[in-house]
Amino acid sequence: MNKILDLLDPLLILSAALMGVALYLIFIWVPTETNQGAVQRILYFHVPVAWGSMLGIFVVSGSSFMYLLKKNEKWDRLAVASAEVGVIFGGLMLLSGMIWARPVWAVWWTGEAKLTTALILFFIYVAYLMFRGYFPPGAQRQRLAAIIGVIGAIDTPIIYFAANLWSQAHPPIITGPAADAESALGSDLGIVLLVSTLAFTFLFVFMVQTRYKIRKSEDDVIELKRASSASAMTGVN
Amino acid sequence: MMSNVTNTAIRVGAFRIALALILALAVSVSLTQISSAEHTPPVNGIVVGVETDDAGALTRFAVSDSTGTIHTFTIFKGTEYGLENQAGDRWVSTHEAEPSEAARRLRDHRERFAPITVTSENGTAFSVVEREEGKLEANLGYLFAVFAVTWALFFAYVLYLGRKQRVLQHEIARLKVASDK
Repeated sequence: MNKILDLLDPLLILSAALMGVALYLIFIWVPTETNQGAVQRILYFHVPVAWGSMLGIFVVSGSSFMYLLKKNEKWDRLAVASAEVGVIFGGLMLLSGMIWARPVWAVWWTGEAKLTTALILFFIYVAYLMFRGYFPPGAQRQRLAAIIGVIGAIDTPIIYFAANLWSQAHPPIITGPAADAESALGSDLGIVLLVSTLAFTFLFVFMVQTRYKIRKSEDDVIELKRASSASAMTGVN
Repeated sequence: MMSNVTNTAIRVGAFRIALALILALAVSVSLTQISSAEHTPPVNGIVVGVETDDAGALTRFAVSDSTGTIHTFTIFKGTEYGLENQAGDRWVSTHEAEPSEAARRLRDHRERFAPITVTSENGTAFSVVEREEGKLEANLGYLFAVFAVTWALFFAYVLYLGRKQRVLQHEIARLKVASDK
């Protein structure tokens, strides 16, 4: 019973509730788009996970910067947690985009700017995590990983503006400050996208929070092992 | 001494990774610019205008895409057609062979709001085909695939987190007991 109660985090409940509303809106409430048909509903998954992957790199970059500034372990933990969740969201962004591209563009992938820069974002996440995985633990690794984290954020504005700067098959920006008024979503579609994005954002925050706690536990284990071996050495001496 | 060598190696490694990331970004953006200059992506949409000459042969047609943008295409002798009527019978031909039939078929598509895919270069249509993937039945499969992949991945990740958390809790408890002894 306690285990079940432990899982019932307020963020998870909020995310699940919003996800339920979003699913109702996506599959029942919102009208089918005239040109693309049912497949257009992929938008309500694709855009929120893409937003999650960009939010992830912002958090990685911001917390990496804070780590470089304050040298506090909590910022490093937040960066790792966000990178790991970000790689999940980034992978889903690419997969959902490819599945959507097949019926609409008749290809799984094109080499256009929006797609390529999104793929680079995924590689940045992977490179960040690989770097941490292969280098020996310590302040040096944290500092250098933080530098990669800060550099990685350069890709985010390029992804956002890519569809407008190098206009090809990918639709232009439909949300945010650079959205073209003519291409922006109508009210029904906008509401569904907003609810879905909120649901995935809460899910993102919940996952980062959970991963952060795990990272803290991992650090505790290292600390306990260190203390245990130190006391064993004292006993031997 | 050894530590200094390791630190320098780590710095060089990190610098190389950062440099490779920047280089990959620059190359991909440049390549995309080059490719965008060479290819025109296919246009999917519904027919909104058909223009013919005095003999009834198709000369130009216009397509509105999902964003509402109107694309106008001219025809040449080699333009290929692959269009279906309402019953699903497919008509495959070229503009040279049946220029009037092309106009009739496109007007039929305009009246039915049936989506088509047009490949073109500099406004000249190379192929005008039925957008088969635009059919509802086919689309549902793709929608299901996205839905299934999204939730399967999230579910697997949450399970992984839960398992990792349990293992760590046991490890912490074990180490605390060991240190108390």
